[in-house]
Amino acid sequence: MKKLILNFLLIVFISGTAFAQGTTKEKKSDKPVSFPWDSELLIDNQTTLSPPAKTLECIIQHRFGLVNQNGISDLFGLYAPGANIRIGINYTVIKGLTFGYGITKKNMYNDFQAKWVFLHQTRSNRMPITMAVFGDFAIDGRSNSTFGTTYKFIDRFSYFSQLIISRKFADWLSLEITGSYTHYNMVTAERNHDNIGVGINGQIKFSPQSSILFQYDIPLKIQGISEQSSFTDANSSKPNFGFGYQVETSGHSFQIYFTTADGILPQDIYMNNHNDWTKGDFMIGFTITRLWNF
Amino acid sequence: MNKISVNNLIGLFALILFIGTMTAFMSPQTQKKGAKWVIPQKYVKMKNPYVGNKRDMKMGRMLYSKYCKSCHGSKGLGDGPKAAKLKTLPGDFSTAKFQAYTDGELYYMTAVGRDEMKGYSKKIPDEENIWALVSYMRTMKK
Repeated sequence: MKKLILNFLLIVFISGTAFAQGTTKEKKSDKPVSFPWDSELLIDNQTTLSPPAKTLECIIQHRFGLVNQNGISDLFGLYAPGANIRIGINYTVIKGLTFGYGITKKNMYNDFQAKWVFLHQTRSNRMPITMAVFGDFAIDGRSNSTFGTTYKFIDRFSYFSQLIISRKFADWLSLEITGSYTHYNMVTAERNHDNIGVGINGQIKFSPQSSILFQYDIPLKIQGISEQSSFTDANSSKPNFGFGYQVETSGHSFQIYFTTADGILPQDIYMNNHNDWTKGDFMIGFTITRLWNF
Repeated sequence: MNKISVNNLIGLFALILFIGTMTAFMSPQTQKKGAKWVIPQKYVKMKNPYVGNKRDMKMGRMLYSKYCKSCHGSKGLGDGPKAAKLKTLPGDFSTAKFQAYTDGELYYMTAVGRDEMKGYSKKIPDEENIWALVSYMRTMKK
């Protein structure tokens, strides 16, 4: 199955490269493609877009409760008590390098992020892809007793690192694949400290300002790095599938979507998602971003 | 604590509605025409090097929709949803007067700007994309 997915992704990206080579003969130049994505965020995932240098961004990510848990009685999760929210700020120091900080309601996380877009797809297609690395370090802010009797401050730490490879196939279509590594310093006995995950995300534009988004993040079950004898529902995380609508203006991005995982931080999504989208476990969520240039 | 009567609530609602309506009618009347643009000579003489480029026409439409439409309107008539809130009229891109500006002057207005018409060179750092906007504004001629 994994081989099949990898082969599919390879075919998609290679055929896309060939397609793009055919359409960019009009003018050869080595400038980076403009606006490979409309926003730095794609539902729960990062894109390979980095705002111009000296840009401050404020982000609000919100997640309501499960739509299928109580149905209409809690208005499909809108009145549910389990809502999650993250408020964050990002600052792009130099072209391609962004640092961020945010707080999340779930587990009272404080997180520190960095993203570096180090390779840009060019219009001439000499460089067919854009690549970025993203890192997120989070501190669980709950009370000491949550971490057991032998509490140490570092027990609160979790780490997430990700390589993102994207391609703008056409003005209306951008896709990216991701590979990630997650580590929690402390987990309960039946769980693993580490996870390797892959993902595929996309943006389909249907007007200059509007687009459809989708994401699929898969935590892999690799026995070689597991501390458990087998993977069960209790000790492993489920895939995170989401789709939504995005509208973009000069300074704002607004996304409204259905997504599976209640955690907003990527390490929480890859490590602690027990919702199963195949059983209809979706949540309504939205993201608002605001950009200021200095 | 005193209870608020229904009459008081209706009165308050009517007052808010009245003030809101008056403000809505007053705002456009306080808008003024923009002063004459003072544009450095080096910009005035600049020519659009990307005239007729198909990629730039598509990009210009996309950028206009994202960055300009909210004030200047979808056809450049100055009737975007934010236009009424501006102190200065955003102008009409379809007029002969506007289209008489040189390419370089339009480039300066877009990239450098002034007052409420902020320059977009930071948000649109690639100068080819500014020229793409200039090309798109040319299509708004009546």
